[in-house]
Amino acid sequence: MANILALKRRIQAARNVSKTTKAMQMIAASKLKRAQDQAASGKPYVEKISKIMNNLLLSEKKYKNPYFSIQNNIGKTLVIVLSPDKGLCGSLVTNLIREFINFQEQTPDSTYIVMGKKLEGQITHFSKEILASFPFGTTIPSFNAVYPLLRLINEYYLGGKVDSVKIISMEFINIFTQKPKVFDLLPIIPEINENDEKEDNFYLYEPNKKILLDSLIEHYIEMTIYQRLLESFVSEQASRMMSMQNATDSARDIIDSLQLEYNKTRQAKITGEILDITGGQSVLENE
Amino acid sequence: MHLQIITPEKTVFNEEIIEILAPTDKGQIGILPHHINLISKLTHGELIIKSKNKEYVIALAGGFLEIKKGEATIIADYAEHADQIDIERAKEAQIRAENLLKNKDLDMTNEEQIRIEAELRKSLLQQHIAQTKRRQRPH
Repeated sequence: MANILALKRRIQAARNVSKTTKAMQMIAASKLKRAQDQAASGKPYVEKISKIMNNLLLSEKKYKNPYFSIQNNIGKTLVIVLSPDKGLCGSLVTNLIREFINFQEQTPDSTYIVMGKKLEGQITHFSKEILASFPFGTTIPSFNAVYPLLRLINEYYLGGKVDSVKIISMEFINIFTQKPKVFDLLPIIPEINENDEKEDNFYLYEPNKKILLDSLIEHYIEMTIYQRLLESFVSEQASRMMSMQNATDSARDIIDSLQLEYNKTRQAKITGEILDITGGQSVLENE
Repeated sequence: MHLQIITPEKTVFNEEIIEILAPTDKGQIGILPHHINLISKLTHGELIIKSKNKEYVIALAGGFLEIKKGEATIIADYAEHADQIDIERAKEAQIRAENLLKNKDLDMTNEEQIRIEAELRKSLLQQHIAQTKRRQRPH
């Protein structure tokens, strides 16, 4: 029976698929672990730096820095889109695209910087102005990736060509959930926290507030961008791990049902053969 | 007084101490317990921390020091205990940075150059601090 051979082939094919997806799942899991560790260890640094910056800003109301005030209301936005380079990560890319489409309907007058191949095509499809596009890479993003982004941001924002900078990227909630989100990068809006105001905010500043704030803000922007990069990477890996796990599970289900069908067909064939033999035998005996 | 040193990579130091000697743009400053609230910019250099029965030397590459209600926090771009510095690697980094600066690309951007110079400064600092520390160590 040719059917048996065909079934055998299909089982083998499903096995191969499940092996590949299993391997991809494991790779994503190990990358995820490392990236999560790195993101977690950078968190206290970012928190502390934004806290100090906030405290300083509240105590120094006269402070002026282009990063805080909208320079001129030209209504243009520079948007940095972070997306994976590779697919096979579940609904992540689709969700990002949906977020991008929503966003571009609300703010049609935007310039884009794309990081990652997956959304580059989409954005060109909408014939948006793309300033630059970078590969996202398949390893943990290095801090050096921040500098070219920062240079473009400075050129456009400080040069007065745009009046705000936003980032569209994935927000990592947990391994099972990641959401696309639009983050505001510039101008920086100091958070006014009621509790903090009551606290004793008297400080001595060395060498002086302006120099301190200037360099704190630079650090803050760099670190914020880097945290976004890390979070995108973590989300990508988490999403890939989950979708590959699902793929492996469904491949296993297919293997199981094919195996059952194979066994049944094989058994039916054997039963048929035995019936033939016994039938032939009884004919011989009766003669 | 409690001191915490945080870098983007990890928390380097988290202990009770009695004195800090920190490098700033205008020279070294000493911090003793019950210091007034302070925020200061730190520069490249050697950070010395004294606890009750131990002295720590830490290589520091720029950052900020905050004292609030007697709690000290240092956020640094880079910080490492002197006895954990890998001198060989620091030397390699120095040579690499020097070569890059020597065979300068024409299209090397200003930021790249600043970054490589910072890398060079860091590797020199690492070597300097690791070596001084090694000399001081009693035999």
